Amino acid sequence: MSTIGLLRTIFSHKILTSNVIQTPSLNKSPFIVGFFLNHDQVRTMSRVKRRTTHPPYWHVLKNPQKVDDKISADNLRFVREVIQENYKNKSPLKPSELQIEKSEWDPKTKRSGVIARNIGMQYMWEKDGKKVKCTVLHVLDNHVIRYIPPEEYVKTMIGSKFFKYKKPLGCLVVGAEARNPERFTKQYCNLFASVGLMPKKTLSRFIITPNAALPPCTPITAGHFVVGQAVDISGKTIDYGFQGVVKRWGFKGGPASHGATKFHRRGGTIGTGRDKARVWPGQKMPGHMGSERRFSRGLKIMRINMKYNVIYVKGTVPGATNTIVRIFDTVLPLRKLKEAPPHPTYFPPEDGTQPEEDIWDSSLHVFGSPSISV
Amino acid sequence: QFCTNNNAHVVQPRLRIEEIRAKRLSIFDKELKRQQALIPRLEKIEVAYEGLDNETTTLVMNKGVSTPYNCAQHISEHVVKNSVAAEINGEIWDFHRPIPSDCTLKLLCMKPEDQHQASLVNKTFWRSCSFLLGAVVEGSFQDEISVSLHSFPPANVRSGSFVYDVQLSLDDWVPSQSDLRQISASFQKFVRQNHIFQRLDIDSSVALKMFEDNAFKAEQIPHIATKSSSGHTVTVYRVGDHIDISRGPMIASTSLVGRCLLTAVHKLDSRIYRFQGIALPSEIYINHFALGIIEARARKLNPARIPELKSN
Repeated sequence: MSTIGLLRTIFSHKILTSNVIQTPSLNKSPFIVGFFLNHDQVRTMSRVKRRTTHPPYWHVLKNPQKVDDKISADNLRFVREVIQENYKNKSPLKPSELQIEKSEWDPKTKRSGVIARNIGMQYMWEKDGKKVKCTVLHVLDNHVIRYIPPEEYVKTMIGSKFFKYKKPLGCLVVGAEARNPERFTKQYCNLFASVGLMPKKTLSRFIITPNAALPPCTPITAGHFVVGQAVDISGKTIDYGFQGVVKRWGFKGGPASHGATKFHRRGGTIGTGRDKARVWPGQKMPGHMGSERRFSRGLKIMRINMKYNVIYVKGTVPGATNTIVRIFDTVLPLRKLKEAPPHPTYFPPEDGTQPEEDIWDSSLHVFGSPSISV
Repeated sequence: QFCTNNNAHVVQPRLRIEEIRAKRLSIFDKELKRQQALIPRLEKIEVAYEGLDNETTTLVMNKGVSTPYNCAQHISEHVVKNSVAAEINGEIWDFHRPIPSDCTLKLLCMKPEDQHQASLVNKTFWRSCSFLLGAVVEGSFQDEISVSLHSFPPANVRSGSFVYDVQLSLDDWVPSQSDLRQISASFQKFVRQNHIFQRLDIDSSVALKMFEDNAFKAEQIPHIATKSSSGHTVTVYRVGDHIDISRGPMIASTSLVGRCLLTAVHKLDSRIYRFQGIALPSEIYINHFALGIIEARARKLNPARIPELKSN
C-alpha cells in the first residue's frame, strides 16, 4: 500500500449523516483534503423524490373526465344566467356580519397568508435616486373556505408530520380565482358548496395560530399586509427542463479552446476510484432542473395599491411571470413584524370612507411628485 | 328501513311482493306461449329498411315473429345497441314487438335530427322511465307496508319530471335525503341489469286475473280495454320481474337509461304519494351543474292530473 493510501486509512473521516458540509479542517492530513471535496452535502439529497406531476391520492378529482354533449345555445345561456344569479350576491360582507372573535395580535401570532399572481417586474426609485427592482404581485380574489382547528389538523396526514415534535397549530383553507362550476367535477365543487362559494381554481392551506382564525367566506385582500413589512414568498421555480451540469450545478466545465476535445460543458470525474469505489448517492449530474417549491425570504413590501389589490415587493420571486405564489409574514427573526398588522385580516372601514388607494413606502419617490423638494 | 312501524296500517294479510310478481310472471309466460303457438307455420314478409342517407334495403323476415330487433341484427351491432324504438309505416313501434305484415322500417336513435321524431323518442323515454320508477318503488318498501301502484300520467317532458302515483299504507311519510338517495341507487341498479321491455297484448280477463291483488289496476282494466282497437285487449309490458299496464310504446331496453334519480315524493290526498324522478339517456352527458338545475326543477310538485279515488 502506498503512503497516501496508508495515511487515508489512518485518518479516514467519519461518515456524517447530517446537513453539515465536510470542511477540510476535519481532516487531519493535508494530503486527503482534495479527494473529498466532491462529496459535500450528499446524503440529505440522496434518493429524495423532488417533484411529482400528479396530485396526492387523497385529493378530490378536480377536472371532469368526460366531455359535455352539445347543449343548444338557449340552454347554454340559461345555465350561465343561473350561475350568475347563484353567485352574484357573494359580495364582501361587513365585519359586523361575520362572526369574528376579537383577538389581540402578539409577536408569536401566525397570520394567514395570501394567494397572489406574479404579474411581472417594475422599477421603483428611492428618494436619493437609487433604483429598486420590484416584483408586482396581484392578490387574487381570496376567500376563506374553512378553518381547521389544531386538534383536527394534527390528525391529518400532513398535520401529523408537521407537528410531530411541535405544538399543533390550526390551518386555514383559502381559495383564489373563482371559475365556472361546470369546468370542475361535482366532488370538487362540493368543497365550496358548504360556504356557498363559486369553486376556486387554486386552493391553499396556511398554518395559523388559533387567534388568527377567520370565518368561512371572508375575503382577504392586499390590505392584509402593511407597506414596509417583510414577507416570505413561496412559489414553484421556473421549469428549465433537462439541463446540463454547468447550468444546473454551476460546474466550470472545460476550456473552450487550447485543444480540448469534446470537453467543454461536461462534468468531468464523478468519483475517486479508490475510497468507497463507487459513485456516491447525490452525485451532481445533468437532470431535470426547476419546477420545485422554493421560498424567497424577507422581501420588503414597497407599495400597495388597494384599489387593484396589487403589492410591489422588493426583489425577485420564485417562478415565472403569471404563475401563482403564496405570500406570508416573514419568519426571519430580525425582519419580523414588531407592530400589530391588520389582525386577523384587513377589513374596509365600516363608515364607508374609502381607504387610501395607493400606499407607498416612505423611502420611495412617488411617481408624479416633484423630484426636487425645496 | 324507510320508516318506523307507527305509521303503518296493515290493511289485510297480503302476499309478499315477490309472490305477487311470480304469479303475474307465470300468467304472462303462459299467455306468451299461447300466442306464439297460434302461428301454425312461418310466413315471410318483406321489410324495407330505411337507413342513413335514405338508403333502403329489403329484409325478408318472419311474419308475426320477427321484431325490429331481429331486423337490426341484420344491419349492425351499433344499431342493435343504440336503437330506442322503431318507426313502422310512420308509426312508433316497440323494438321487441313482432311485425305483422310488409312495411317500411326506420330505427330511431336517442338523438334524431328530425324534430317530430325527437319529441316522440323523448316521450317514449319519459314514459318508460315512469314505468321503471313504478317497478323500483314496488320493491323498495318493507313487507309490512302495502304498496299499490296506481298509475302514471301521460308523458309530459315540459313538466320537469316523470311521475308514478303509488298508494302506501303510511299516513304521513316525508322521505329524508338518504331515503331518496337509497331509492335512486336501487333505480340505478335495476337499470344497469339491461332488461328489455317485452310487450304483450292480452285479453282483459287475463289482465284482471294478473292484477287481481291491485284494486286500482283492476278498476282501470275495463276502461282501458274498451278504448283499445278490438274492445277487450290490454297492453302489458314486462321488464325483468315486473309487469305493468301501459298503452304507449316503450324504449328497447333499460340499457338506454343512463343517470336516473328519484328527486321528490309528494303526498297527494288519501295516502297516495307522487314519486317524481328524472333520467338522462346513457348517450347524453351533461355536466353536474346543468344536471343539478334539472334536478332542482324536478323537486317541485308535478302538475299532472291527480288521480281521483272513488273507493277507500
